[in-house]
Amino acid sequence: MSHANLLSPPSSIPPKTALSLSQKAPLILAASPTSSLPWPLSLLFSRESPESWTIHENLFLSSLRTGDDKSARLTLDRMTTRFGADNERIIALRGIYEEALANTPAELEKVFQGYEKILREDPTNLSIRKRRVAILKSLGRPADAITALTVLLENSPTDVEAWAELSELYASQGLWAQAIYSLEEVLLVMPNAWSAHAQLATLYYLSTPSNITTLSLSLRYFCRSIELNDTYLRGYYGLKLVSQKLLPLLSDSTSLKRNNDEEEAGPPPKLATVKKLEELATSKLAEIVRQYNAGKTGWTGLDEAEVIAAKALLDHGGIER
Amino acid sequence: MAQPIVQTIHRDPALFWWILLPITVVMVLTGILRHYAMILLQTAPKKQALPQIRQQRSLVRGINLRTHAKVLPPASFQARKAYMVSAYQEGKFLADPESRGKPRPNPMSDPAAMEGMMGMMKGNMAMMVPQTLIMGWINAFFSGFVIMKLPFPLTPQFKSMLQSGVGTRDLDVRWVSSLSWYFLTLFGLQPVYNFILGSNNSATQSTQQMAANPGAGLMGPEQDPDKLFLSESENLEVLEYKWVLEGIEDRLVIKFGL
Repeated sequence: MSHANLLSPPSSIPPKTALSLSQKAPLILAASPTSSLPWPLSLLFSRESPESWTIHENLFLSSLRTGDDKSARLTLDRMTTRFGADNERIIALRGIYEEALANTPAELEKVFQGYEKILREDPTNLSIRKRRVAILKSLGRPADAITALTVLLENSPTDVEAWAELSELYASQGLWAQAIYSLEEVLLVMPNAWSAHAQLATLYYLSTPSNITTLSLSLRYFCRSIELNDTYLRGYYGLKLVSQKLLPLLSDSTSLKRNNDEEEAGPPPKLATVKKLEELATSKLAEIVRQYNAGKTGWTGLDEAEVIAAKALLDHGGIER
Repeated sequence: MAQPIVQTIHRDPALFWWILLPITVVMVLTGILRHYAMILLQTAPKKQALPQIRQQRSLVRGINLRTHAKVLPPASFQARKAYMVSAYQEGKFLADPESRGKPRPNPMSDPAAMEGMMGMMKGNMAMMVPQTLIMGWINAFFSGFVIMKLPFPLTPQFKSMLQSGVGTRDLDVRWVSSLSWYFLTLFGLQPVYNFILGSNNSATQSTQQMAANPGAGLMGPEQDPDKLFLSESENLEVLEYKWVLEGIEDRLVIKFGL
């Protein structure tokens, strides 16, 4: 993300952007969007717009990220006066604030107990259920987090965020089949998400090394992510990596024996095609790296770490797992 | 051929200041007032219980599976299909499995449905009461006045619309009576409200009715969830499935012209 903007979702912004966003706090906190006039007049003279509360929420999250707890508190208080302490979203934001201020596992445990109490009163509060999972994760209890998430998903099986999180947790435990299943659920809701396709390809790639069936599945998912977004760095990176692995296997005729897996994932791709794809990925990656280093407009939005990794892949044939 | 006789009526300029303008201002203000009254009268939508959420979202999951099946590899699609179809047929996701197969209860006896009807009643009352009052007010004070002349000619069909309250047969259609002006403002002020209150206002009835029942089509109270599940399981069973990733590598090669 090249420009700092308080209207975009804050989850994926790099630390530098978060800092510059949170430095806007004094300016935003100086002017209240709600009017201080008594009731009927306040309706007429408020400068409130739907965006102002998105800005407040993102400012709150950025301030917490950068350790500006005071601004976060002020923003939270302002949102609480506007929407009331019982608002589902405010409850979740307050939870985030408390979690951020908790330093020891014991304090986190206390916040956790608070969530349990909220959930006993209102079992439908899904954002608190998600916060609960987040605490379990930061307490280092992935198995419990997985259980909590499966309960959540049992009740709300269309929640993309939760499925993606579950997939990540399973992958961290090395349970590849479950991780792949969860990510496929993400795809069912968002069938055109190229990042999810690339992630699924990565999971296949990591799950079983040097197996033609999984590698060709992985290759196909990377291909799909490129088909959906033909400037997708990660897609090309994966395509190159997988095709490099796949080429020796395919040219080795003994490993090409027919097996049952073939019916599941279709026949393996042709050797010539994979070669062409590898060349394509190489040239595209080289172009991306070149343009990024030249600082051309339209190419600066890439993540620096990813470009460095792509360059390393081009130079030395990649980083070993 | 003689020119058509142009009717001229000499109107007291006070008519403009004491009738036309008050009616317009009153109508605009009622609209704004109604908008804020509707906001105050609105009850927050009732929260669904967890089993209901589960029931609804499980159905959506099945629909998602059907519409986006092409993203899945054959094996995982078949596994999912088998699971969803059998779960739907067993009624695994139903909010209250006991009432399966029983006829739906009368909606009048359902308190939730009653509440929805009360909400609609409130909206109607907020529309009706001020209208009755204002119309009574105009009838009592301003009936029979011809207050303005439209700058364009109209066909005689508009006579009943524009000259209600003025019982003259030969009056040109372009003359507008006070009661008609009331009706015109009643139906024609929506752009003005949009300008003052923003496009999402509830100053007139039409927008309010549209917003009355969102999402009723999917799983409204009048539909039997079990039937929906069963029909969805049939849809899944007859689904024609094709994997989008089949031959993707060749597609990509062609796309980039290698």
